[in-house]
Amino acid sequence: MADSEMEMDGGPSGAGAPAEGESMLGMVDVLLFSIIAGLLIFWAVFRKKKKEEIPEFKKIPPQAITPRETSFIEKMKKTGKNIVVFYGSQTGTAEEFANRLSKDAQRYGMRGTVADPEEYDMSELSRLSEIDNSIAMFCMATYGEGDPTDNAQDFYDWLQEADDDLSGVNFTVFGLGNKTYEHYNAMGKYVDKRLQQLGAKRIFDLGMGDDDGNLEEDFVSWREQFWPAVCEHFGVEATGDESSIRQYELVVHTDINMNKVYTGEMGRLKSFETQKMPFDAKNPFLGTVTVNRKLNKGGSRHLMHLELDISASKIRYDSGDHVAVYPINDTTIVNKIGEILNVDLDTVISLNNLDEESNKKHPFPCPTSYRTALTHYLDITNPPRTNVLYELSQYATDPKDQETLRKMASSATEGKSHYQTWVLEAKRNILAILQDMPSLRPPIDHLCELLPRLQARYYSIASSSKVHSNSVHICAVVVEYETKTGRTNKGVATNWLKNKVPTDNGHKSMVPLFVRKSQFRLPFKASTPVIMIGPGTGIAPFMGFIQERAWLKQQGKEVGETVLYYGCRHRNEDFLYQEELEQFEKDGVLTQLNVAFSRDQDEKVYVQHLLKKNKENLWKLIHTDNAHIYICGDARNMARDVQNTFYEIASELGSMTHTQAVDYVKKLMTKGRYSQDVWS
Amino acid sequence: MPALKAEEPGQEETVQDGGDVVYEKEHDDGVSPSDLSELLKAGTVEAHDKAENTQFVKDFLKGHIRKELFKLGTVALYFTYSALEEEMDGNRDQPQFAPLYFPEELHRREALAKDLEFFYGENWQAVVQLSEATRKYVDRIHEVGRSEPELLVAHAYTRYMGDLSGGQVLKKVAQRALKLPSTGEGVQFYTFDNISSAKEFKQLYRSRMNDLDLDQETKLRIVEEANRAFGFNMEIFNELERVGKTIKDEVLDGGLPEYDGKGDLSKCPYYAAKTAAGGGSACVCHMAMAVLRHPTGQVMMSACIALLAGVAAWYLM
Repeated sequence: MADSEMEMDGGPSGAGAPAEGESMLGMVDVLLFSIIAGLLIFWAVFRKKKKEEIPEFKKIPPQAITPRETSFIEKMKKTGKNIVVFYGSQTGTAEEFANRLSKDAQRYGMRGTVADPEEYDMSELSRLSEIDNSIAMFCMATYGEGDPTDNAQDFYDWLQEADDDLSGVNFTVFGLGNKTYEHYNAMGKYVDKRLQQLGAKRIFDLGMGDDDGNLEEDFVSWREQFWPAVCEHFGVEATGDESSIRQYELVVHTDINMNKVYTGEMGRLKSFETQKMPFDAKNPFLGTVTVNRKLNKGGSRHLMHLELDISASKIRYDSGDHVAVYPINDTTIVNKIGEILNVDLDTVISLNNLDEESNKKHPFPCPTSYRTALTHYLDITNPPRTNVLYELSQYATDPKDQETLRKMASSATEGKSHYQTWVLEAKRNILAILQDMPSLRPPIDHLCELLPRLQARYYSIASSSKVHSNSVHICAVVVEYETKTGRTNKGVATNWLKNKVPTDNGHKSMVPLFVRKSQFRLPFKASTPVIMIGPGTGIAPFMGFIQERAWLKQQGKEVGETVLYYGCRHRNEDFLYQEELEQFEKDGVLTQLNVAFSRDQDEKVYVQHLLKKNKENLWKLIHTDNAHIYICGDARNMARDVQNTFYEIASELGSMTHTQAVDYVKKLMTKGRYSQDVWS
Repeated sequence: MPALKAEEPGQEETVQDGGDVVYEKEHDDGVSPSDLSELLKAGTVEAHDKAENTQFVKDFLKGHIRKELFKLGTVALYFTYSALEEEMDGNRDQPQFAPLYFPEELHRREALAKDLEFFYGENWQAVVQLSEATRKYVDRIHEVGRSEPELLVAHAYTRYMGDLSGGQVLKKVAQRALKLPSTGEGVQFYTFDNISSAKEFKQLYRSRMNDLDLDQETKLRIVEEANRAFGFNMEIFNELERVGKTIKDEVLDGGLPEYDGKGDLSKCPYYAAKTAAGGGSACVCHMAMAVLRHPTGQVMMSACIALLAGVAAWYLM
């Protein structure tokens, strides 16, 4: 205390003892006075300033300056969204898909938002369970050597190192890739696998889009099956408000000028009555059937040769091109659908898109009748996809049927396998399903909205334009088979073509067609040897090739080796074009005619066996004489077996390892010396 | 007598042509190492990389392409392809070019005209101009077509093979960055209606290139010409880049305005408050004032005053 420090001379110091006579105030008093004075000063002078003091502040959170939310969870909560779609995109495709998925959500009673993983804190994923019925969707493109896109790099890095527990997080992934690259869809696959490893719940299988094939189609297929599965998962009724899931609005025309009604045209009204050039997919040419004969001499199948007249169309083609035809459905099936749904099929209707911004005003040319739609425009013979079954389920009056249909569209293993057996393996088309599920009676207009479009069928042209400039030839086998349900399924186009006879009660038979250019071509130089391998109907383009080589020979050109490997079941039954081919051989156009009859002996003999037998000759043609190889026909087995045979031949006669032989053949493909026109 | 070609790796190739025998030396490379398609690919890999790495292309791939520049690019392509296709039409029957004549599948002139109409309106032909770099390219193409048609393949290869490969990526980028309609207007150039498979077409094209009857010397000249073609393309990119700098700064299409770090800091109230209230100042006076504003400092100050007052009072009395 200050007291004790104040030693005063000449005076007794005592606490609180009043000084003797010298002054009224003692030391203590002075001190106390000072303290009080100091406090008073403090109070008077500084207190006001305290009020003006600028408050202490900590680090300013971002919201205070600009509203940039790095938490997608917060953003979702604020905007009431339960679905977030992340995208890993370089060129914008994955981002576009993400946008579309996000918009879809609404149709199923959910609310979606899109997010760039680069802009958000992805470690917040574990918090997704805070939102009810939430899903994290991912549209991930793979780049370069199986790498993430630039905007997904951080997310990718985080995934690798994270050990967060993502239980309670529902997710699904759609990958965008390209099969010609080695690490096909690596990013999509990784994200799908890793999220599951971290405990998240996969609510729908990984979808994989192939840009080398048809990325758009892959996406649409996946997405159409995804949403019903989601509804199933959450027990959400996609119904409730029917109009919210219908894409089109039905308009029935009671009094309409029949000249304004479509009767099967693909594009312009009356384009079948007044044909106008140029002819293409939207404006097909009506070719007249001039020839329709059976090609096989026996057996239970029906193989046919048709010739379609294209004079006056100015359509030009090269051998190897494809002719596309627009078939129509069997009228029996169409009528039965009308009966079973109790509808007047001749009602004229339009289905108008509820989304006015959309380019697609109608699902098929409108106005038209239900009959025309089911006959010309809609696919009624393929087994319906799961999303169709899901959307129809609301119309099943029997709750068990409703349940079954919904389950088949879900991602539950049981449901998927039921779909596999009951629909796919049993080859049930929509009519069969309606017949076997009597409580399912959907309105016909909704059915028309759901069924996919009837596609054109492509055939390799079996003629050469040098010889047949006004005609395209088709070689096809009629498809017809028994299903497990005891029904007979018939191929749409082949049965339709079979019945197109040249004169039908005095009327000409017409086929709407167009030509699609292919890259399957004879070598430029007639002198280049060709090796053609085309068993069964695979012989088609080679008829064109051989006709052309014959024509070139006639023109005096030097024509190189023309070698054919053909295969069929029995010499006496289905040796297609036997007479023509044997004539070509006699004329020296076809320098080698090698035929394998698979069932004429005990052991199966196919084209690849003949190839192996002639390996020395083949190797000389390929390696020394610069021959071009052509394969046409079945993709699944024949093409693969033939390719393997060439690996063997190259390996053995070229003294290469298997890997080198594979490389050799792949190089032939790159350089256009090994071409394929195959179908599955 | 059929023309025979005997090719075996590591040996000399002889080509009999009406009695003349031409010898060529080959390297031991496996399958037909002197194929033009392979020579071209290997011989232009550097030029290709360089072109890919020009600023213009890099920006383009990222989606940073301004509409004005894209339009000018389309103009350059129009003049280039018009010249190229004119020369190809003229040489369609020449043996050095005939195998590569694919007008229906490849020709771009009409598609480009449609794109230009979309961008510049019906009067586009009067509006578009031939730029300096494009003129040089066009002149060379005409020169080749007229006096060295065997080299025409070099120009066709450089453009069309590219269009069918990376070109497809550019289409998507352009559509998204420029918000072009999904129905394809503005990018008809990248749309090959008559080619169902780009991959297969390229294979066919390569087989045709290899079908040309050329001696090794001509093949090497073709590779050289292809590199020259890459050079002309790069000059056009650089020219576009320069033009881009003169165009007023606009918001990059497809993106949000970015914060670029500029602005008047002193206008920021928080910054002003921060510097006024707290540390960071070396000025003593400021320091003192700062201390004074602190409550603890104030108590200390008061105590000192009190102490001084007490001492003074004691001393005086």
